[in-house]
Amino acid sequence: MAKQMPKPRRRLREGRVGYGLPTMLAVGLHLGILILSVVKWPFSEPEAPNNAIVQATLISTATTTDQAQQAAEARTRAAQRAAEEESTAEEAAAQEQEAQAEQQAQQEAAQAEAERLAQEQAAEQQAREEAEQQAQQQAEAERQQAAEQAQAEAERRAAEAEAAAKQRAAEEARRQEAQAEAERQAQEEAERKAKEEAERQAQEEAERKAKEEAEQKARKEAERKAKEEAEQKAREEAERQAQEEAERKAKEEAEQKAREEAERKAQEEAERKAKEEADRRSREEAEAALQRLIQGDTDAVSNAEQGEEAANGFIQIVRNAVQQNWNIPPNSEGLSARISVRLGPSGELLVPPSVAESSGNAGFDNTAIQAVQAAAPFSELLELPGNVRNDYRQFNLRFDPGGVH
Amino acid sequence: MNDSMSIPHLIINASGVVQLVMLLLLTGSILSWVVVFQRTFVMRKAKRAYRAFEDRFWSGVDLNELYREIPSEQESEGAEHIFRSGFREFNRLMPKTRSAQAILDGVQRSMRVAWSREEERLNLHLVFLATVASASPYIGLFGTVWGIMGSFQSLSMAQQATLATVAPWIAEALIATAMGLFAAIPAVIFYNRLSAESSRLLGKYEDFAEEFHSILHRNLQGRSDSSAA
Repeated sequence: MAKQMPKPRRRLREGRVGYGLPTMLAVGLHLGILILSVVKWPFSEPEAPNNAIVQATLISTATTTDQAQQAAEARTRAAQRAAEEESTAEEAAAQEQEAQAEQQAQQEAAQAEAERLAQEQAAEQQAREEAEQQAQQQAEAERQQAAEQAQAEAERRAAEAEAAAKQRAAEEARRQEAQAEAERQAQEEAERKAKEEAERQAQEEAERKAKEEAEQKARKEAERKAKEEAEQKAREEAERQAQEEAERKAKEEAEQKAREEAERKAQEEAERKAKEEADRRSREEAEAALQRLIQGDTDAVSNAEQGEEAANGFIQIVRNAVQQNWNIPPNSEGLSARISVRLGPSGELLVPPSVAESSGNAGFDNTAIQAVQAAAPFSELLELPGNVRNDYRQFNLRFDPGGVH
Repeated sequence: MNDSMSIPHLIINASGVVQLVMLLLLTGSILSWVVVFQRTFVMRKAKRAYRAFEDRFWSGVDLNELYREIPSEQESEGAEHIFRSGFREFNRLMPKTRSAQAILDGVQRSMRVAWSREEERLNLHLVFLATVASASPYIGLFGTVWGIMGSFQSLSMAQQATLATVAPWIAEALIATAMGLFAAIPAVIFYNRLSAESSRLLGKYEDFAEEFHSILHRNLQGRSDSSAA
């Protein structure tokens, strides 16, 4: 019972649960959610680099194929390519070239791989042959040693026989001698055979080496050719690109010139129109003056002047009204349209406003027409003096991003 | 999903009022989660403490000894607090009056006071959780309505109202509602859970108080009988 005591006590002494850990947990939770929501987006983008992997798999398949076959294939491919190159050099389509360049790069990679493999294999083979030769030499030495030992033993045995049993017949000695002779002969035979074998092996070795060298040379030749071809192709590609670039530049320049020309023309047109307008005004003024002269009435003169002032005011009012109702569309820099407006006697639109001179952008023209429609009717026309009213029932409005003129 | 429609981008580009609403909701969400974690720890601790005390109480230990073991008034919590205040009142009243009824009344009163303190302690901040749960959807909705108002105002300026011009505004405005729900849903769930746990624990305390009262009653009955005899 007493042992149980400290446990609840300690828990009590820990005091109340603080707010530090819960705060950390709560903030961590929110940060985690935030990071999840932010980090998720960039993942959809990177999917591009696949070519490197494809090439890598190609090389790996090349390593698994037979080395000799690979070398032969490389050679035939080089020859084929040379023939192809000749036949297709005139055509020289950009896509084909690109494809060929790619193929060539792959082939070169395969060739290089094959070469490396061949070298490795040759080195291995050499090492193997050396080991074999060493083993043969060792075997030969052992054989010689064995023969010497046998001879020594025979001699020893002969001496022993002589020493131990003098009563043995001379025939026996002779037989022993004959035996020794036979042994020697056998030994000589063996030596001769070993020598011949060695010679034969050396010859084979030399032949093989010569063959390998020839192969290597052929491979190098093929490689050199491939390289030269690649260089030539790169040169052609560069030339073609330069040409294209030049063409493109020329085209851009021409376009820009055309654009400038068009702008200049538009400006000239506008100036011309303005001049015409001014002419018309002056003509009207002249007419008015003539009328005035005919009437010969100072009162009328002052009336006409007032009328003109009012008319100018009317045009200004119309411009302001239209401008307030005009939503200038975005990207309308440099555009300018002229809208022809015809009004009824009381300032309402007689016919829908028409495009007298398009800006080239239908949307822009439409916004201008909509602006005029929204601003109508122009009841201020009624405030004009009757004699000038009809002169202002038809007018043109020029729209450009700077405003309405 | 292009970059201009990503959630951080939308939040950054929102109007001031909507951003304020989002900030408010984020604060509410963080605070409510603080309360959730803190209350969860408190409840777990209180449950464990109650179980340990109950085992100790019913193990047949002498009540005087148990009283001495428990720390002073301010530090004791839960059933220990109730037991301590009841037993202290009992010990104080014992020498002063001979009336068993007066003693039991005093004990019951003091235990009721301790119980109500425990109730206050367990339910601390749960009201905040309830407030977040009920108010944040409305706050989020306000942000959305405000954002859509702004979007329509700017729509009136534009000449062509395509879906592409409206979509970012609406998405931006709807984030406020999403955040409101994000704050409200955990708050509702955990408010229900925590208040249920707290009331269960308080019920246990009440049961314990009754049991303790009956023990004291039995004790006094025996004494009054013996004194009467």
